[in-house]
Amino acid sequence: MSRALGWRALLAFAALAAVPLLPFMSKFYLLLAFDALLFGAVAMSLDLLMGYTGLVSFGHAAFFGLGAYATAALLERGVTSLWACLGLAVVVVGLYALAVSYFSTVRRGIYFALLTLIFAEVVFTFFRYTQTFGGSDGIQGVPPPELVPGIAIDSPLRNYYLVVVFLLLAYVTCRVVVTSHFGRVLVAIRENEDRARFLGYNVQRYKMAVCMISALLTGLGGALYPGRSAFATPDLMLWTVSGELIIMVMIGGIGTLTGPILGGAFFILLQEKVSSYVDWYFIVIGLVLVFIVLFMPKGLLGFRKMLGFGQWRTTA
Amino acid sequence: MAHDGVVLEVDGVSRHFGALAALTRVSLAVTAGQVFSVIGPNGAGKSTLFNVIAGLHEPTAGRVVFRGEVITGLPPEQINRRGLAKTFQITNLFPEISVLDNVRVAAQSRAPESGRPASLWRRPDVDGVALPLLEAFGLAGRRDELAENLSHGEQRYLEVCVALATAPTLLLLDEPTAGMTPGETRDATALIRAIALERQLTVLLIEHDMSVVMGISDRVAVLHFGEKIAEGTPEQIRHDPAVIDAYLGGADD
Repeated sequence: MSRALGWRALLAFAALAAVPLLPFMSKFYLLLAFDALLFGAVAMSLDLLMGYTGLVSFGHAAFFGLGAYATAALLERGVTSLWACLGLAVVVVGLYALAVSYFSTVRRGIYFALLTLIFAEVVFTFFRYTQTFGGSDGIQGVPPPELVPGIAIDSPLRNYYLVVVFLLLAYVTCRVVVTSHFGRVLVAIRENEDRARFLGYNVQRYKMAVCMISALLTGLGGALYPGRSAFATPDLMLWTVSGELIIMVMIGGIGTLTGPILGGAFFILLQEKVSSYVDWYFIVIGLVLVFIVLFMPKGLLGFRKMLGFGQWRTTA
Repeated sequence: MAHDGVVLEVDGVSRHFGALAALTRVSLAVTAGQVFSVIGPNGAGKSTLFNVIAGLHEPTAGRVVFRGEVITGLPPEQINRRGLAKTFQITNLFPEISVLDNVRVAAQSRAPESGRPASLWRRPDVDGVALPLLEAFGLAGRRDELAENLSHGEQRYLEVCVALATAPTLLLLDEPTAGMTPGETRDATALIRAIALERQLTVLLIEHDMSVVMGISDRVAVLHFGEKIAEGTPEQIRHDPAVIDAYLGGADD
């Protein structure tokens, strides 16, 4: 499977596995690292749409939030198996994503962005304004999930390793997908959707499929969140979260998979650092983003290439 | 209606855009192995005819029969899967991927994985199809170049490569030599003719430049203001008074 996991990626994951050994890694930093990698993985999933297919989703927060609610709702009811939580997240997010991906790919162009946003706002409004799942408070104080009965993922360290494994699996999935027959068609759709149709490809079916893959990975990421935070709140589904995910992809380098992981991690760390000094941290992040878009349009990875380190392939 | 050897039959096709009648009851039949040309001045409805055949537009009336089956109303991807490939008058490629990947993505549309779950992880090796095509059109040396960086003439050739990579029975060429110099046009038409013969293709060709088609066509139909005004061998067409009128004198619109 060298196609999916080269030696560089293996090295990177080995380094990630060694991170908790660093002397200054307190519980606080472990949780910060958890967030960085989790949002990195989710941003990478979004890159399947943005970078490879040329579709910008403004509603990825809903997939993430639904996954989180699936886990939190089960944990709250005493079902503590991690696998049950992930399974429910797949079902819930899958059903929702099926509807979203169908309707938002019926028409072309701006409709995808608009419909993903509108669907996500509907979901947000439901969770925020009905009391079914706790209203604006969401579901709070849930117990940690268990890997197997008796082994709870109850420490920052265990959560951290869980997210590293998730990132690894998500990365391999994305890498295989973009280098496959399917991934090549995605790029063709991004480049010229009409011509792809005249080559015998049912473009809508491909768009739906990649939207489902991206949504499910994002939902699985969301399903890991309550294990770390002990809650799921409607704020996770705010459209600003979807916007932040888009920013992460752009910061890191669109259409590279690795870039958005870096972008997500960079965003989370920057947010944490800056917000510990000033309240108006988003202005700083905004300035950083403007700088990146203007001077490094290919993101952090593109910057790396500009400086002459190695070759990164943008497309399959 | 499957006459002997008839690959494509256009049967009384009309297409209106609002009040504009782009095509009026056009009929023609293309037999296997033919190079059939549709000519006509600009605006005669040639591209509309192609778009109706290839599934971009539904005809207002009439039908299109391809290899014995009615294909009217099918979407372009299904028509392509039945063996009909089309090139475009305005170059229509995948600009930011390599020349080779342009042809690969077309060729893999016929791989057994295509449209199946296995396509999510497998990558079929289609270079056996793609590389000889690039070779035949003299693009092998440019295989790693981005399609957008090719010269106009090279892009025109790549257009044809991409269409041929889907292994069609019938190839629709929409002004393949558009924008080429007379010299390039001569080379291109000779090449297309040779490749059609070699691959036993049936070719339906659109041109507005009459001289291009005369040397390579078995049969020519002439459209004028959306109506077919003549059909015959190139020699017959050359001497048809209605055609001469349409091309030379017929500006009395």
